[in-house]
Amino acid sequence: MDEKQTRNKVEVRNLTKRFGDLTVLDGINFNIKEGELLAIVGPTGCGKTTFLNTLSKLMPTTEGNIYINGEEADPKKHNLAYVFQEPTCLPWRTVRENVAYGMEVKGVGKEEREARATKIMDLVGLTSCADLYPNQVSASMMQRIAVSRAFAVNPDLLLMDEPYGQLDVKLRFYLEDELVNIWRKLNSTVLFVTHNIEEAVYVAERILVLTNKPTKIKAEIPVDLPRPRDLLNPKFIELRKEVTELIRWW
Amino acid sequence: MAYKEVTVKQPLLLTVLPYVSIAAFFIVWEFAVSSGVIPNELLASPSQVVSTFIDKLSNPNPDGAVMATHAWTSVQEAFIGYLLALLVGIPLGLAMGWFNVVEGLFRPIFELIRPIPPIAWIPLTVFWFGIGLAGKVFIIWIAGIVPCVINAYVGVRMTNPTLIQMARTYGANDWQIFTQLCIPSSLPMVFGALQLALAYCWTNLVAAELLAADSGLGFLITMGGRLGRPDIIVLGMICVGISGAIIGFIIDRVEKKLLAGIRR
Repeated sequence: MDEKQTRNKVEVRNLTKRFGDLTVLDGINFNIKEGELLAIVGPTGCGKTTFLNTLSKLMPTTEGNIYINGEEADPKKHNLAYVFQEPTCLPWRTVRENVAYGMEVKGVGKEEREARATKIMDLVGLTSCADLYPNQVSASMMQRIAVSRAFAVNPDLLLMDEPYGQLDVKLRFYLEDELVNIWRKLNSTVLFVTHNIEEAVYVAERILVLTNKPTKIKAEIPVDLPRPRDLLNPKFIELRKEVTELIRWW
Repeated sequence: MAYKEVTVKQPLLLTVLPYVSIAAFFIVWEFAVSSGVIPNELLASPSQVVSTFIDKLSNPNPDGAVMATHAWTSVQEAFIGYLLALLVGIPLGLAMGWFNVVEGLFRPIFELIRPIPPIAWIPLTVFWFGIGLAGKVFIIWIAGIVPCVINAYVGVRMTNPTLIQMARTYGANDWQIFTQLCIPSSLPMVFGALQLALAYCWTNLVAAELLAADSGLGFLITMGGRLGRPDIIVLGMICVGISGAIIGFIIDRVEKKLLAGIRR
């Protein structure tokens, strides 16, 4: 992973969103490199949901745009994936069929779909419950299904909205490790939004800190700690403090 | 599978009490009529109804048809009306729930027609269809279509919006979202509509048979009234009740089987 390409996969230019007089996003500019895991942290109420909804093209921007490989982002053309805070499993599909859903929408052929689903379910340990229905598995499994479904489409940009916010600490660490693991294996480009500073420092290669509304980028902090990361490493603690201070003193 | 079904035993009281309650109901009724508390001209006793029933199995008098003919006529009318109501109502409701064009076009008309009681359609029905099967089917269809449309509409509307957003970010188009998310999500409501519509159809059967008919359970009830025969009236009512309950029970079973994958 050290031999990272420097090519920008995603470019966000002057991203602005206003609701009437209320400016929520105020000219945000940043890039995500191919295969990078970028974390975004910000104070509560910093317009995080609006930010993600515009990036995922669920919501039109007021000004500015998002470019993937130099082209304007379009869910029908690019492989976008979005892992929501709440579970988004389809209750009438088995775990395997849920994992394959994104690929189905993308029109991936049946054999390819099966192969990719099997591979990803192996990576995240879903194989044993592949034929169960979502209401037969635990909350952390549901989130794994959503993460697997997202990675399975080989996303150009994978957006994650506090995917582990509702899980307990132990499971969260476990799933964060798993996320880092899949991301490194598949070399996907990931944007990870969280309120949890420790989580951001733990998973990300770079952290963007947002200001309060109207939201801008306040700071950019590269995290060049070796993996697997140690939560008690002095450098880790120092970075965590740095980000915390930035969020506290806006 | 690591998953184990747990069966809960039904309490004994719930198994026994329904029979006790039904038995008590008929005993009190029988006693009230035979002791003269309720005069026989106003209400027939259960035993009289049973003997009329046995008699009607083979005797077409005084109303012109044997029991089996009445029952068959009614079932036929109700089912044709019911099926047509499902066939038109459910797709219409589903489409209204998702496609703005369909909602915009059909909602106002539907809202205007909905409050009109099906019986109010009888005179027009006679002009349009005469007094044959088609007229009765039309009344029953009108009655059954309302819950189909409403339930299917609400079912689609209740689709979890996050699921829709999820599908959109994968690039799903409206049609994919409609067929892959909205329709499966709405199924529990649609199955509810099967029950409701049947109830509506069955209750309006009597109304439909107010049209000049020569057989049918509703017709049997009307004839009982004209002839001053409470036993025939009650027989007709009980038959409507029992057959409705049986059909409802069958649909309930089918629904549980089909929805097993969703509502576990």
